[in-house]
Amino acid sequence: MDERLLLVEDDASIREIVAIGLKAAGFRVATAVDGREGLARFRADGFDAVILDVMLPSLDGYEVCREIRKFSRVPIVMLTARTDLIDVVVGLESGADDYVKKPFELPELVARLRAMLRRAAAPAEAEPIVAGQLEIDPAGFAVRKDGIELALTATEFRLLLELARRPGQVFTRELLLQRVWDYEYLGDTHLVDVAIGRLRAKVEDDPSHPALIKTIRGVGYRLDRA
Amino acid sequence: MARQPIRPGGRRGRIWPGSLRRRLVVAFVLVATVSAGALAVASYLLVREARLDGSLTASAAEAREDLNLATTITYQAAGDFVRAYEQRGTHAVLIFPGGRKVTSDDQVNPPIPAVLQGFVRRGQLGYQRMDVAGLPYLVMAGKVPGSNAQLYLFFPEQSIQRNLAQLRNTLAAAWLGVLLVAALVGRVLARRTLSPVARASEAARQIAAGRLDTRLPAGAADEFGAWAAAFNEMADALEAKIAALSAAQARELRFTANVAHELRTPLTALVAEASLLSGQVSHLPDPARRPVELVIADVRRLRTLVDELMEISRLDAGSEPVLQRLVDVQAVVAALISARGWQDRVTVDGGPLTLTTDPRRVERILANLVGNAVEHSGRDVVVRTGTDGANGCVDVADGGPGIPPEHLPHVFERFYKADSARAGQGSGLGLAIAFENARLLGGTISVSSDTERGSVFRLTLPLGPGGDVSER
Repeated sequence: MDERLLLVEDDASIREIVAIGLKAAGFRVATAVDGREGLARFRADGFDAVILDVMLPSLDGYEVCREIRKFSRVPIVMLTARTDLIDVVVGLESGADDYVKKPFELPELVARLRAMLRRAAAPAEAEPIVAGQLEIDPAGFAVRKDGIELALTATEFRLLLELARRPGQVFTRELLLQRVWDYEYLGDTHLVDVAIGRLRAKVEDDPSHPALIKTIRGVGYRLDRA
Repeated sequence: MARQPIRPGGRRGRIWPGSLRRRLVVAFVLVATVSAGALAVASYLLVREARLDGSLTASAAEAREDLNLATTITYQAAGDFVRAYEQRGTHAVLIFPGGRKVTSDDQVNPPIPAVLQGFVRRGQLGYQRMDVAGLPYLVMAGKVPGSNAQLYLFFPEQSIQRNLAQLRNTLAAAWLGVLLVAALVGRVLARRTLSPVARASEAARQIAAGRLDTRLPAGAADEFGAWAAAFNEMADALEAKIAALSAAQARELRFTANVAHELRTPLTALVAEASLLSGQVSHLPDPARRPVELVIADVRRLRTLVDELMEISRLDAGSEPVLQRLVDVQAVVAALISARGWQDRVTVDGGPLTLTTDPRRVERILANLVGNAVEHSGRDVVVRTGTDGANGCVDVADGGPGIPPEHLPHVFERFYKADSARAGQGSGLGLAIAFENARLLGGTISVSSDTERGSVFRLTLPLGPGGDVSER
């Protein structure tokens, strides 16, 4: 344990009790009260994971997330009070790996953080996988397209790796949730759809006509070995 | 208060559409043709009278002259005398005393009317109109002065009759023309007169169909103009009233959504705090333990209520997205039963059922119905899947005490609790949310219940296009 977390939350009660809970779960927690402070602290110290409230003064959670993504693939979980689907999707598209709806039970947040941190750790296997123009290097946690390294987040990397391990096989969203996010069936498949969209934007030549990661209507996704 | 029917006849179909227009046209045509007909008949009769009188006067004058001429004619010269008339187209007959008769045209030999003969014998000048060999003649007759001979002159009246017939035909044709013109003009006039009525019924129909900004063109200075103005006033009032009502409703919905949302932040802290406390209950001193347990339970209850308020206000806002996936309903039921540990209370029955619909919502609805059944009956809940035409059905039956009939129509209402003693943990929104979700998916939920066998909630959802499903 001993991972260092940054909690960015403007409500004092929530900030305090969540920090207490996370510390009790064995994390080291630093807190920030608004978006600017959160971003500054992350830049200064670096963390193993970030917990980001969406509604923040000065700079909202989406902005902070986009800023962090410019230079870091750190796992990010968003705390969203708004449960409208659009907010969830915007959060995920701005680069978050996961989200937790307010109000949440602390064990749920802890479980999500642990799953994210597990994902961020490099997988044990070492054999590089080649899929079309892509070369996936599990040991180095890197993906190269035509020799150029792509900036994938930990979630995107795990998702690509999962699909690439069995090219041609169709993965249901539920299976991907289980394998990549470490979740049992929760029915929340937006995570998968949005992450696939982000992954395509990075690996496909034409993301609107994907050649590598295909949608199988009504079922799920499949990686075609080009 | 009972609504008064606007028309005693009730349905619009009973009234012959446009019959008022037809009646107006018929009345207009009747007036025009009756007056034109009366005028034509009267003028014909006048002209006929004048022509026949004229002919009579002229013939009488000529007859008097001819009678004077005839005084010198002997029986022997009579043949030449009468034949001279034939050149003018007039037949002449001279009857000498003793019955000797000289005729201008032996072939025609016109008959002498007995009545006229009587007149002549009494020394009077007489006339009679009659047909000879199919042609009209005016017969003038008189005693030749100074003798007992009688002269009968048959003046032809063919040209008069022909003229009168022509006049008759012309008048009839003119009358027919008037009839046609009256029908046309009547139609146009009636349509124009009644067009505001047609416009008004169209406008009323538009308003009924929800286009509340429909108005009639106002400004005409007649009764219809006043009517249009009154109609528009009514439409204005209606539109304003409905706008006010929907604004009020929107305000209310927004308020509910805002309240639920504002409750979220403190509730998040509460839930996290309760979540931490629940791990510490056993370490608490005795007097604090029970209150803390209660706090934890109440926070959970509050959370459920706020969650459900949020959900129903999202459903009310109508902004909920709906996924379209192939959903194996039995798998959904099995998953939710095992996730909640209801394996020994709920059994699944019926055939496999695959729908194209939103899996999360189906799960939400079924979790709700099954949870409700478990809560009310404890055990012996049966979930049965099947199809009904183009719909899939899921019956959730419990062996509970059933719902009294007076409560049955209200079970899907918000915060409705059939029996406050039995209300349990529910927020009172669960069934309402399930119902709204079912409606969002194009389906419905119905309920039947009897107090001996328990209740059956039936979820009916469209099967959807099988297999071919759209998504991102």
